[in-house]
Amino acid sequence: MVVIESAGITDVGKKRKGNEDSYFVNDNLQVYVVADGMGGHLAGEVASSLVVKTVEGYMKRARDGHSEGEKELVEKDENLSKEANQLMTSIHLSNRVVYQVSKNKQSCSGMGSTVSAICFTRDTLVVANVGDSPIYMIRNGKIETLSVLHTVIAEQKALYPQGGGQSLGKKYDHMLTRAMGVEKTVKPDVCEIQCFKDDTLILASDGLTDKVRPDEIFEIVSGKSPKEACPILVDLANERGGDDNITIVIVKVIMVKYKRSGVLGWISQFFK
Amino acid sequence: MPTLTLKFRKDSATIKEYRIERGQSITIGRLDANDIVIENLAVSGHHAKIDWTGTGYLLTDLKSKNGTFINEQLAVSHWLQGGDIVTIGKHIIAFNYAEGEEQPDDSDNAMNETMVMDTGKYRNMLAKNVSSAAQEAEQTSVLSYLAGGDGEVELTKKLTKIGKNPSSDIIVSGLTIGQTSATISKRPDGYYLSYVSGLSKPKVNGDAVKDSVKLKQFDVVEIGSAKMQLVGKS
Repeated sequence: MVVIESAGITDVGKKRKGNEDSYFVNDNLQVYVVADGMGGHLAGEVASSLVVKTVEGYMKRARDGHSEGEKELVEKDENLSKEANQLMTSIHLSNRVVYQVSKNKQSCSGMGSTVSAICFTRDTLVVANVGDSPIYMIRNGKIETLSVLHTVIAEQKALYPQGGGQSLGKKYDHMLTRAMGVEKTVKPDVCEIQCFKDDTLILASDGLTDKVRPDEIFEIVSGKSPKEACPILVDLANERGGDDNITIVIVKVIMVKYKRSGVLGWISQFFK
Repeated sequence: MPTLTLKFRKDSATIKEYRIERGQSITIGRLDANDIVIENLAVSGHHAKIDWTGTGYLLTDLKSKNGTFINEQLAVSHWLQGGDIVTIGKHIIAFNYAEGEEQPDDSDNAMNETMVMDTGKYRNMLAKNVSSAAQEAEQTSVLSYLAGGDGEVELTKKLTKIGKNPSSDIIVSGLTIGQTSATISKRPDGYYLSYVSGLSKPKVNGDAVKDSVKLKQFDVVEIGSAKMQLVGKS
């Protein structure tokens, strides 16, 4: 069992009129989601909130065991655990929902969203994302990126580590190669990792990470509770221009309890 | 709308002419899945692609074996201009704008906000942009037994469990080994081994792992009866 402390915050920033980001934090379900919507007028807001709500709804049904009757959207991936498959299904489902709404409603035509989501199993952590909202993990005094950026630049960099992307220019920083609700199907990147006490996860929209570097996030988040760190990060992004909506979810693992079985498990308690 | 003229060598006859529209993407390669198929062994399965990016046409070489040349210069990514000659293997593709067609200007208009996807055309571009190349880049490694077992175990799972429990992906024995002794996570940047439970901790290159370490090629993992080596598969 994993014990968690978390906090989430969203801020419109200094330049935008509306907030197109959405987030979801639930320590009971142990599911955390950030979505950054895009598309004119109010469509971005619609897209990101549809994503967040659909993931939330599906994960609730799945954890309660009520999702069995739902039609499988995608075949179960044998390379993933049950929980990872649930999270993937929730993302596929919300992609479908956003896609359908954007098809059927004139005002929502062309909308899309990113999604970055994490959920916990008994002792591991599942990370999935589509788009460019980063997921960081702080562990052992280091900050690492767990998500995969789906942007033109990142794709170029992956293909050509020696610097193919730079020649494209800064304007392509935000050109996504994958997004939610743009196509009938979507391919999220996913990974599952063992989780340890004091691991801290940070999910954010690019409104934060365009302004605040990972090492600065590390400095600010370390040693503070999620609730304290969130507004400090928002203030810093706003001080530096606040060009975009800023959303941050911080999740801290307080304790991981392993269930041990058998006599040996009982003995091993004394050797911890 | 610009045309792409496929020829074998510069002065030979046109094989086929293609058109690319704004908002469209075109892939070039030897396999049938491509929009422009060049059946020649000098051409990679997925060789290159051209995307409309909102301000111009961008050609990207998809890590092809023999490279893509623009006007005889090796190119990784290149903004196509009217009159450019793309050379792939011995074939050439001429990129030309139609007469009088407005050409995208090269000025850096601010594209600072997250891209707004306005039209159906953009959607196609986005979908195709999920380049097959990026997916091909994902590599799977195997754990090859040095002792305590035979053969190798492919690490295709996102989370591979190693332990005494019969449901483990890799079953090992030993009195002090945990039901799940360790897990190996496949992360975007490689494999990570984590200690989970049991009195004996897993060892990587002889050092006990107390939480999590990144595995490198040829690292030796020891858990209970099993001694295994991580080997990349090409």
